[in-house]
Amino acid sequence: MALLEGRKISKSFGGVQALNAVDFAVERGTIVGLIGPNGAGKTTLFNAVAGAFKPTSGRVAFDGRDVTGLPANAVCRLGMARTFQVTRPFGAMTCLENAMVAAINRHPAKPRGFIEALAREKLALVGLADMAGFEARHLNVIQKKRLEMARALATEPKLLMLDEVLGGLNTQEINQAVEFIRSLRDKLGLTVLWIEHVMGAIMQAAERVIVLDQGQILMAGTPAEVVNDPRVIQAYLGE
Amino acid sequence: MTVKKRILFGALILAGMCVLPLGVGIYPQHVLITSLFYVMMASSWNLLAGYTGQVSFGHAAMAGIGAYTSGILAAKAGVNPWVGVAAGTMLASLLGLGLGTLCLKMGGIYLSLTTLAFSQILHIVIVNEYAVTRGTMGLQVPGLMDEYSKITYYYIMLAAAILMLVLLYRMIHSNLGLNFRAVQNDETAAKSVGVKVLQVRVLAFTVASAMAGFAGGLYGHYLLLITPEIPSLDLQFYVLAMTVIGGMGSFIGPIIGAFALNILAEKIRDYGEYHVLVFGLIALVVARFAPNGLLGVWQRFRSAKPR
Repeated sequence: MALLEGRKISKSFGGVQALNAVDFAVERGTIVGLIGPNGAGKTTLFNAVAGAFKPTSGRVAFDGRDVTGLPANAVCRLGMARTFQVTRPFGAMTCLENAMVAAINRHPAKPRGFIEALAREKLALVGLADMAGFEARHLNVIQKKRLEMARALATEPKLLMLDEVLGGLNTQEINQAVEFIRSLRDKLGLTVLWIEHVMGAIMQAAERVIVLDQGQILMAGTPAEVVNDPRVIQAYLGE
Repeated sequence: MTVKKRILFGALILAGMCVLPLGVGIYPQHVLITSLFYVMMASSWNLLAGYTGQVSFGHAAMAGIGAYTSGILAAKAGVNPWVGVAAGTMLASLLGLGLGTLCLKMGGIYLSLTTLAFSQILHIVIVNEYAVTRGTMGLQVPGLMDEYSKITYYYIMLAAAILMLVLLYRMIHSNLGLNFRAVQNDETAAKSVGVKVLQVRVLAFTVASAMAGFAGGLYGHYLLLITPEIPSLDLQFYVLAMTVIGGMGSFIGPIIGAFALNILAEKIRDYGEYHVLVFGLIALVVARFAPNGLLGVWQRFRSAKPR
């Protein structure tokens, strides 16, 4: 059974139908790309799945449980972690404290030493070990994105949901980031659902790609299938 | 500062606080006692506003709940004041639970307005329920001990303040404290990493209200005359000014602010209503030039010094 499954997820804001009967599945241990033109509903789908808001209709199943409409903190405790497109660090807290907040809610009964070690380990993983004592608001945009990854990882998730983590990176940095995300899957056994505009990265890293357009699933398939599909090309480039 | 230095520093302050009222007149003792009341008020309000970002205007009202509950029980039913203070603390925490729950879906200005309304309603009820509260005349209540002694009151308030500060310190430095600050920094992000935001917010409201009720209860039995001045907006904004000027969101800030402003208030008493103007000016200057309060100025000064 798939780790994450959405059935007929719809979401409307007033008169705007942001998601329209979206069906999708993310298999365990895979990296799945979620792409689509601006305004296609990618982040809305994230929010509906991760509990930021309730879908208007439809069901979300995660790890064999119905999680439709559960609040974000409950979904997180079940093993779903996310980053935000526009980063949301705890600005007045240090990087270490940012990661520790995630760790204490995963392990409420564990002693401080354990929590701190876990948080430091995740900071080191994303290359922020040296910044542990710095307040998060002093980080640059790229470091903030890394911090969000560390924070998400410190919740020890089964599924990591990334919302455009590559924005602002150069080619070399993108390659490193792709390697890093692959290593999360290969070494930590994470499943990754990844919204990204940098198509090259998704084509390199993902086994499957889901294409959203105007709130609907346009198609889903392997990267090669997706890039060669005339509907996808049309959605991106127009007629 | 190393841990050893910190402990030494704390012990020195504690010893200083113990001998401070000895050998001074009754008036300075009174100022010290009221300062300790404000330390409790500002520090507990700081837990709410500074650590979870809930700027409540109902904190003085909670002190009023504590004072009037204990006062009425003692004056009308002859209940032991200590039992009364405990009852007032309980009632304030229950009301805090209720008010916090009511404000759950609100943030920012809406929460402030709702708590402001609560505070005003309470004030009006107290002023008008003359038969029970004796309105603006004030309710005469018995003291905590049979024999009135300022020094004893001072040590009681000091012990209460230290107890509360130790509790607050431990809370702030526990997992709960991290969750508090995460909620204040960004509720959405806090939720996304598993923080039970609603629970955390209500808990902060309940604990802070209980503390205000406790402080108010003790204060009432010290004053011996409880008036609607305690649950008033004047007192609320006074506590707010102390916290902001001292340094909101820091542990030490409200303590410094409470002493500094209360002592200053006594010094400029002669100017009558104009002393409010002075407070306003100080708050303005602090907000403009030292947004992190007096504590922030001190920290900046220290970090600027070559080491």
